[in-house]
Amino acid sequence: MKIILVDDEKKFINMLAKRLAMRGISADAVFSGDEAIKKITSTAYEVAVLDIKMPGISGLELRRKLSAINPDLKFIFVTGHGAANKVDKKIIEKDYYFSKPLDIEILIKRLNEITSSG
Amino acid sequence: MENLSTRLLDHQRNKQMEINMNDAMNFINMEGLKFFGKVNASISHELKNILAIISETAGFLNDLTDLAKQGQELKLSLLEGCSESIAEDIQRGFTTIKQMNRFAHSVDTPIKEIDLFDTLELTVNLSEFLSFANKVQISNNDKETQSILTCPFLLQNLIYQILIFTYKATGPDGDIQVRLTSEKEEGTSLIFSNPGQLALEGFPTQKIQKTADALGVELTINSSCNELDIWIPYASNKITLLAKELQIDSYTANSEGDSTTNR
Repeated sequence: MKIILVDDEKKFINMLAKRLAMRGISADAVFSGDEAIKKITSTAYEVAVLDIKMPGISGLELRRKLSAINPDLKFIFVTGHGAANKVDKKIIEKDYYFSKPLDIEILIKRLNEITSSG
Repeated sequence: MENLSTRLLDHQRNKQMEINMNDAMNFINMEGLKFFGKVNASISHELKNILAIISETAGFLNDLTDLAKQGQELKLSLLEGCSESIAEDIQRGFTTIKQMNRFAHSVDTPIKEIDLFDTLELTVNLSEFLSFANKVQISNNDKETQSILTCPFLLQNLIYQILIFTYKATGPDGDIQVRLTSEKEEGTSLIFSNPGQLALEGFPTQKIQKTADALGVELTINSSCNELDIWIPYASNKITLLAKELQIDSYTANSEGDSTTNR
Protein backbone atom coordinates (compact mmCIF):
# COMPACT_ATOMS: atom_id res chain seq x y z
CA MET A 1 0.00 0.00 0.00
CA LYS A 2 1.32 3.45 -0.94
CA ILE A 3 -0.06 6.46 0.90
CA ILE A 4 0.67 10.16 1.26
CA LEU A 5 0.41 12.06 4.57
CA VAL A 6 -0.17 15.83 4.46
CA ASP A 7 0.08 17.96 7.61
CA ASP A 8 2.00 21.11 8.53
CA GLU A 9 2.92 19.53 11.89
CA LYS A 10 6.21 18.09 10.65
CA LYS A 11 7.19 16.09 13.74
CA PHE A 12 3.77 14.47 13.96
CA ILE A 13 3.63 13.45 10.33
CA ASN A 14 7.25 12.24 10.19
CA MET A 15 6.75 10.06 13.25
CA LEU A 16 3.50 8.67 11.84
CA ALA A 17 5.24 7.84 8.54
CA LYS A 18 8.00 6.01 10.43
CA ARG A 19 5.52 3.97 12.45
CA LEU A 20 3.49 3.06 9.36
CA ALA A 21 6.69 1.99 7.59
CA MET A 22 7.46 -0.34 10.53
CA ARG A 23 4.08 -1.97 9.79
CA GLY A 24 4.78 -2.41 6.10
CA ILE A 25 2.92 0.65 4.82
CA SER A 26 4.91 2.95 2.58
CA ALA A 27 4.00 6.54 3.52
CA ASP A 28 5.41 9.76 2.08
CA ALA A 29 5.14 12.75 4.41
CA VAL A 30 4.68 16.26 2.99
CA PHE A 31 3.97 19.48 4.86
CA SER A 32 1.86 21.61 2.54
CA GLY A 33 -0.84 21.42 -0.10
CA ASP A 34 1.57 22.51 -2.84
CA GLU A 35 4.02 19.71 -1.99
CA ALA A 36 1.14 17.22 -2.00
CA ILE A 37 0.00 18.32 -5.47
CA LYS A 38 3.56 17.97 -6.82
CA LYS A 39 3.99 14.51 -5.30
CA ILE A 40 0.67 13.20 -6.48
CA THR A 41 1.32 14.08 -10.10
CA SER A 42 4.36 11.81 -10.13
CA THR A 43 3.36 8.96 -7.78
CA ALA A 44 0.36 6.63 -7.82
CA TYR A 45 -0.91 6.76 -4.24
CA GLU A 46 -3.92 4.79 -3.06
CA VAL A 47 -4.81 6.93 -0.05
CA ALA A 48 -4.15 10.51 1.08
CA VAL A 49 -4.31 11.31 4.79
CA LEU A 50 -4.97 15.04 5.10
CA ASP A 51 -5.02 17.51 7.96
CA ILE A 52 -8.21 19.56 7.68
CA LYS A 53 -6.65 22.90 8.64
CA MET A 54 -3.36 23.87 7.05
CA PRO A 55 -1.78 27.19 6.11
CA GLY A 56 -2.66 28.34 2.61
CA ILE A 57 -5.20 25.65 1.77
CA SER A 58 -7.78 23.68 3.69
CA GLY A 59 -7.78 19.89 3.62
CA LEU A 60 -11.18 19.95 1.92
CA GLU A 61 -9.97 22.21 -0.88
CA LEU A 62 -6.85 20.10 -1.26
CA ARG A 63 -9.08 17.02 -1.56
CA ARG A 64 -10.83 18.58 -4.57
CA LYS A 65 -7.51 19.38 -6.26
CA LEU A 66 -6.00 15.95 -5.59
CA SER A 67 -9.17 14.19 -6.77
CA ALA A 68 -8.98 16.11 -10.03
CA ILE A 69 -5.44 14.79 -10.57
CA ASN A 70 -6.12 11.23 -9.36
CA PRO A 71 -9.86 10.38 -9.35
CA ASP A 72 -9.18 6.95 -7.78
CA LEU A 73 -7.46 8.42 -4.73
CA LYS A 74 -9.17 7.69 -1.38
CA PHE A 75 -9.10 10.10 1.55
CA ILE A 76 -8.80 10.06 5.31
CA PHE A 77 -8.97 13.33 7.24
CA VAL A 78 -7.41 14.15 10.58
CA THR A 79 -8.27 17.16 12.67
CA GLY A 80 -6.99 18.81 15.80
CA HIS A 81 -10.12 20.95 15.90
CA GLY A 82 -12.69 19.81 18.44
CA ALA A 83 -14.82 16.82 17.64
CA ALA A 84 -14.25 15.09 14.31
CA ASN A 85 -18.00 14.56 13.91
CA LYS A 86 -18.45 18.32 13.48
CA VAL A 87 -16.53 18.27 10.20
CA ASP A 88 -18.66 19.18 7.20
CA LYS A 89 -20.15 15.77 6.42
CA LYS A 90 -21.84 16.93 3.24
CA ILE A 91 -18.47 17.36 1.61
CA ILE A 92 -16.63 14.36 2.96
CA GLU A 93 -19.41 11.92 3.84
CA LYS A 94 -17.69 9.06 2.00
CA ASP A 95 -14.36 9.67 3.74
CA TYR A 96 -13.09 8.73 7.16
CA TYR A 97 -11.99 11.32 9.62
CA PHE A 98 -10.12 11.10 12.89
CA SER A 99 -9.51 13.45 15.76
CA LYS A 100 -5.93 13.91 16.97
CA PRO A 101 -4.20 12.17 18.72
CA LEU A 102 -4.53 9.16 16.42
CA ASP A 103 -4.70 5.46 17.25
CA ILE A 104 -2.39 3.94 14.63
CA GLU A 105 -4.04 0.52 14.73
CA ILE A 106 -7.47 2.02 13.97
CA LEU A 107 -5.92 4.12 11.21
CA ILE A 108 -4.41 1.00 9.63
CA LYS A 109 -7.73 -0.82 9.91
CA ARG A 110 -9.41 2.03 8.00
CA LEU A 111 -6.62 2.13 5.42
CA ASN A 112 -7.14 -1.58 4.78
CA GLU A 113 -10.93 -1.15 4.56
CA ILE A 114 -10.62 1.71 2.07
CA THR A 115 -8.09 0.01 -0.18
CA SER A 116 -9.89 -3.33 -0.20
CA SER A 117 -13.31 -1.78 -0.94
CA GLY A 118 -12.12 -0.69 -4.41
CA MET B 1 -40.60 77.99 29.90
CA GLU B 2 -37.07 78.33 28.48
CA ASN B 3 -35.70 76.49 31.50
CA LEU B 4 -38.12 73.64 30.94
CA SER B 5 -37.18 73.19 27.26
CA THR B 6 -33.44 73.22 28.17
CA ARG B 7 -34.07 70.51 30.74
CA LEU B 8 -36.06 68.53 28.21
CA LEU B 9 -33.22 68.78 25.68
CA ASP B 10 -30.71 67.71 28.31
CA HIS B 11 -32.89 64.77 29.22
CA GLN B 12 -33.18 63.69 25.56
CA ARG B 13 -29.43 64.08 25.07
CA ASN B 14 -28.68 62.00 28.16
CA LYS B 15 -31.17 59.37 27.06
CA GLN B 16 -29.53 59.18 23.63
CA MET B 17 -26.06 58.89 25.23
CA GLU B 18 -27.35 56.10 27.43
CA ILE B 19 -28.76 54.27 24.38
CA ASN B 20 -25.47 54.72 22.50
CA MET B 21 -23.51 53.50 25.52
CA ASN B 22 -25.78 50.44 25.88
CA ASP B 23 -25.38 49.64 22.18
CA ALA B 24 -21.62 49.92 22.53
CA MET B 25 -21.59 47.70 25.63
CA ASN B 26 -23.80 45.06 23.94
CA PHE B 27 -21.46 45.06 20.96
CA ILE B 28 -18.39 44.77 23.19
CA ASN B 29 -19.92 41.91 25.18
CA MET B 30 -21.04 39.95 22.12
CA GLU B 31 -17.81 40.42 20.22
CA GLY B 32 -15.82 39.79 23.39
CA LEU B 33 -17.47 36.40 23.87
CA LYS B 34 -16.84 35.46 20.24
CA PHE B 35 -13.20 36.52 20.56
CA PHE B 36 -12.77 34.56 23.78
CA GLY B 37 -14.26 31.46 22.12
CA LYS B 38 -12.16 31.80 18.99
CA VAL B 39 -8.90 32.15 20.92
CA ASN B 40 -9.75 29.22 23.20
CA ALA B 41 -10.61 27.01 20.22
CA SER B 42 -7.26 27.83 18.57
CA ILE B 43 -5.44 27.06 21.84
CA SER B 44 -7.19 23.69 22.14
CA HIS B 45 -6.13 22.96 18.55
CA GLU B 46 -2.52 23.77 19.42
CA LEU B 47 -2.65 21.54 22.52
CA LYS B 48 -4.15 18.67 20.51
CA ASN B 49 -1.32 18.97 18.00
CA ILE B 50 1.23 18.85 20.81
CA LEU B 51 -0.43 15.81 22.37
CA ALA B 52 -0.60 14.14 18.96
CA ILE B 53 3.19 14.48 18.57
CA ILE B 54 3.84 13.17 22.10
CA SER B 55 1.40 10.32 21.51
CA GLU B 56 3.11 9.29 18.24
CA THR B 57 6.54 9.51 19.88
CA ALA B 58 5.37 7.36 22.81
CA GLY B 59 3.91 4.91 20.27
CA PHE B 60 7.24 4.81 18.45
CA LEU B 61 9.00 4.02 21.76
CA ASN B 62 6.55 1.13 22.26
CA ASP B 63 7.30 -0.10 18.74
CA LEU B 64 11.03 -0.01 19.49
CA THR B 65 10.47 -1.87 22.76
CA ASP B 66 8.48 -4.58 20.96
CA LEU B 67 11.26 -4.96 18.38
CA ALA B 68 13.86 -5.20 21.16
CA LYS B 69 11.78 -7.94 22.83
CA GLN B 70 11.95 -9.85 19.57
CA GLY B 71 15.73 -9.66 19.73
CA GLN B 72 16.42 -6.64 17.51
CA GLU B 73 19.14 -4.22 18.54
CA LEU B 74 17.85 -1.10 20.29
CA LYS B 75 19.62 2.01 19.02
CA LEU B 76 20.33 4.52 21.78
CA SER B 77 20.29 7.42 19.31
CA LEU B 78 16.62 6.67 18.56
CA LEU B 79 15.77 6.69 22.26
CA GLU B 80 17.63 9.97 22.74
CA GLY B 81 15.80 11.50 19.78
CA CYS B 82 12.45 10.48 21.27
CA SER B 83 13.19 11.87 24.72
CA GLU B 84 14.42 15.17 23.23
CA SER B 85 11.30 15.41 21.10
CA ILE B 86 9.00 14.77 24.07
CA ALA B 87 10.87 17.33 26.19
CA GLU B 88 10.56 19.95 23.40
CA ASP B 89 6.86 19.39 23.02
CA ILE B 90 6.22 19.47 26.74
CA GLN B 91 7.96 22.87 26.72
CA ARG B 92 5.79 23.96 23.77
CA GLY B 93 2.74 22.88 25.81
CA PHE B 94 3.88 24.83 28.89
CA THR B 95 4.40 27.96 26.78
CA THR B 96 0.93 27.57 25.27
CA ILE B 97 -0.68 27.10 28.68
CA LYS B 98 1.19 30.13 30.05
CA GLN B 99 -0.19 32.24 27.20
CA MET B 100 -3.65 30.81 27.74
CA ASN B 101 -3.43 31.73 31.41
CA ARG B 102 -2.33 35.32 30.66
CA PHE B 103 -5.15 35.65 28.14
CA ALA B 104 -7.72 34.27 30.60
CA HIS B 105 -6.63 36.81 33.22
CA SER B 106 -6.96 39.72 30.80
CA VAL B 107 -10.67 39.88 31.70
CA ASP B 108 -9.96 40.15 35.45
CA THR B 109 -9.82 43.94 35.48
CA PRO B 110 -11.95 45.86 32.98
CA ILE B 111 -9.60 48.83 32.86
CA LYS B 112 -5.99 49.06 33.91
CA GLU B 113 -2.56 50.24 32.88
CA ILE B 114 -0.79 47.79 30.63
CA ASP B 115 2.59 47.49 28.96
CA LEU B 116 1.61 47.81 25.31
CA PHE B 117 4.53 45.78 23.97
CA ASP B 118 3.67 42.87 26.30
CA THR B 119 0.05 42.96 25.14
CA LEU B 120 1.14 43.08 21.50
CA GLU B 121 3.51 40.14 22.00
CA LEU B 122 0.86 38.01 23.72
CA THR B 123 -1.78 38.79 21.07
CA VAL B 124 0.62 37.96 18.24
CA ASN B 125 1.47 34.66 19.95
CA LEU B 126 -2.22 33.82 20.36
CA SER B 127 -2.96 34.65 16.71
CA GLU B 128 -0.15 32.35 15.58
CA PHE B 129 -2.23 29.35 16.64
CA LEU B 130 -4.57 30.07 13.72
CA SER B 131 -3.97 27.81 10.74
CA PHE B 132 -3.72 30.76 8.33
CA ALA B 133 -1.35 32.81 10.51
CA ASN B 134 1.75 34.32 8.93
CA LYS B 135 5.11 35.10 10.44
CA VAL B 136 5.00 38.29 12.47
CA GLN B 137 8.03 40.28 13.56
CA ILE B 138 7.46 42.78 16.30
CA SER B 139 9.79 45.59 17.35
CA ASN B 140 9.80 48.50 19.75
CA ASN B 141 11.27 51.71 18.33
CA ASP B 142 11.09 53.39 21.73
CA LYS B 143 13.11 50.76 23.60
CA GLU B 144 11.14 51.56 26.73
CA THR B 145 7.86 50.53 28.32
CA GLN B 146 4.73 52.22 26.95
CA SER B 147 2.03 52.20 29.61
CA ILE B 148 -1.50 52.59 28.34
CA LEU B 149 -4.64 52.96 30.42
CA THR B 150 -7.11 50.79 28.55
CA CYS B 151 -9.49 47.87 28.53
CA PRO B 152 -6.87 45.08 28.05
CA PHE B 153 -9.31 42.46 26.76
CA LEU B 154 -10.84 44.81 24.19
CA LEU B 155 -7.43 46.05 23.03
CA GLN B 156 -6.29 42.43 22.54
CA ASN B 157 -9.47 41.84 20.55
CA LEU B 158 -8.71 44.85 18.33
CA ILE B 159 -5.07 43.85 17.69
CA TYR B 160 -6.18 40.25 17.02
CA GLN B 161 -8.78 41.37 14.47
CA ILE B 162 -6.21 43.57 12.71
CA LEU B 163 -3.71 40.70 12.65
CA ILE B 164 -6.33 38.42 11.06
CA PHE B 165 -7.10 41.13 8.49
CA THR B 166 -3.40 41.48 7.63
CA TYR B 167 -2.89 37.68 7.44
CA LYS B 168 -5.64 37.56 4.85
CA ALA B 169 -4.33 40.69 3.13
CA THR B 170 -0.81 39.29 2.68
CA GLY B 171 -1.68 35.73 1.68
CA PRO B 172 -0.17 32.49 3.00
CA ASP B 173 3.52 33.33 2.54
CA GLY B 174 3.47 36.95 3.65
CA ASP B 175 5.60 38.32 6.46
CA ILE B 176 4.14 41.00 8.67
CA GLN B 177 6.03 43.57 10.67
CA VAL B 178 4.53 45.41 13.60
CA ARG B 179 6.53 48.21 15.16
CA LEU B 180 5.65 50.21 18.21
CA THR B 181 6.52 53.89 18.02
CA SER B 182 5.64 57.02 20.01
CA GLU B 183 6.27 59.61 17.31
CA LYS B 184 2.84 61.16 17.83
CA GLU B 185 1.87 62.95 21.03
CA GLU B 186 -0.42 61.64 23.74
CA GLY B 187 -0.22 58.07 22.54
CA THR B 188 1.63 55.24 20.86
CA SER B 189 1.27 53.85 17.36
CA LEU B 190 1.37 50.26 16.22
CA ILE B 191 2.47 50.29 12.59
CA PHE B 192 1.52 47.18 10.58
CA SER B 193 3.47 46.70 7.36
CA ASN B 194 4.54 44.07 4.89
CA PRO B 195 7.59 44.05 2.61
CA GLY B 196 5.37 42.92 -0.28
CA GLN B 197 1.87 44.02 -1.05
CA LEU B 198 -0.62 44.61 1.75
CA ALA B 199 -4.12 44.53 0.25
CA LEU B 200 -5.85 47.11 2.41
CA GLU B 201 -9.19 47.31 0.59
CA GLY B 202 -12.06 46.99 3.03
CA PHE B 203 -10.04 48.21 6.01
CA PRO B 204 -11.29 48.89 8.59
CA THR B 205 -14.15 46.43 8.75
CA GLN B 206 -17.20 47.57 10.68
CA LYS B 207 -16.22 45.34 13.61
CA ILE B 208 -12.67 46.70 13.73
CA GLN B 209 -13.92 50.30 13.56
CA LYS B 210 -16.48 49.75 16.33
CA THR B 211 -13.89 48.13 18.58
CA ALA B 212 -11.44 50.97 17.90
CA ASP B 213 -14.15 53.56 18.64
CA ALA B 214 -14.93 51.93 21.97
CA LEU B 215 -11.25 52.27 22.93
CA GLY B 216 -10.73 55.76 21.50
CA VAL B 217 -8.18 54.29 19.04
CA GLU B 218 -7.58 55.94 15.64
CA LEU B 219 -7.04 53.85 12.52
CA THR B 220 -5.19 55.32 9.55
CA ILE B 221 -4.15 53.79 6.25
CA ASN B 222 -0.90 55.19 4.98
CA SER B 223 -1.34 54.05 1.39
CA SER B 224 1.82 55.76 0.11
CA CYS B 225 4.00 53.40 2.16
CA ASN B 226 1.46 50.60 2.43
CA GLU B 227 1.08 50.69 6.21
CA LEU B 228 -1.63 50.62 8.84
CA ASP B 229 -1.20 53.07 11.68
CA ILE B 230 -3.08 52.13 14.85
CA TRP B 231 -2.81 55.09 17.22
CA ILE B 232 -3.58 54.20 20.84
CA PRO B 233 -3.97 57.09 23.30
CA TYR B 234 -2.21 56.79 26.67
CA ALA B 235 -5.62 57.34 28.25
CA SER B 236 -8.59 58.11 26.00
CA ASN B 237 -11.46 60.24 27.33
CA LYS B 238 -13.82 57.29 27.03
CA ILE B 239 -11.57 54.98 29.00
CA THR B 240 -10.80 57.64 31.64
CA LEU B 241 -14.51 58.33 32.16
CA LEU B 242 -15.28 54.65 32.37
CA ALA B 243 -12.45 54.16 34.87
CA LYS B 244 -13.95 56.93 37.03
CA GLU B 245 -17.39 55.41 36.76
CA LEU B 246 -16.02 52.02 37.79
CA GLN B 247 -14.02 53.74 40.56
CA ILE B 248 -10.74 52.36 39.27
CA ASP B 249 -7.82 54.43 40.52
CA SER B 250 -4.64 52.74 39.44
CA TYR B 251 -3.78 49.30 38.23
CA THR B 252 -0.27 48.70 37.09
CA ALA B 253 0.98 46.38 34.38
CA ASN B 254 2.59 44.28 37.14
CA SER B 255 -0.74 43.01 38.42
CA GLU B 256 -1.11 40.97 35.23
CA GLY B 257 2.18 39.21 35.88
CA ASP B 258 1.29 38.59 39.52
CA SER B 259 -2.02 37.02 38.62
CA THR B 260 -0.40 34.59 36.21
CA THR B 261 2.07 33.27 38.71
CA ASN B 262 -0.14 33.17 41.77
CA ARG B 263 -3.23 31.45 40.44
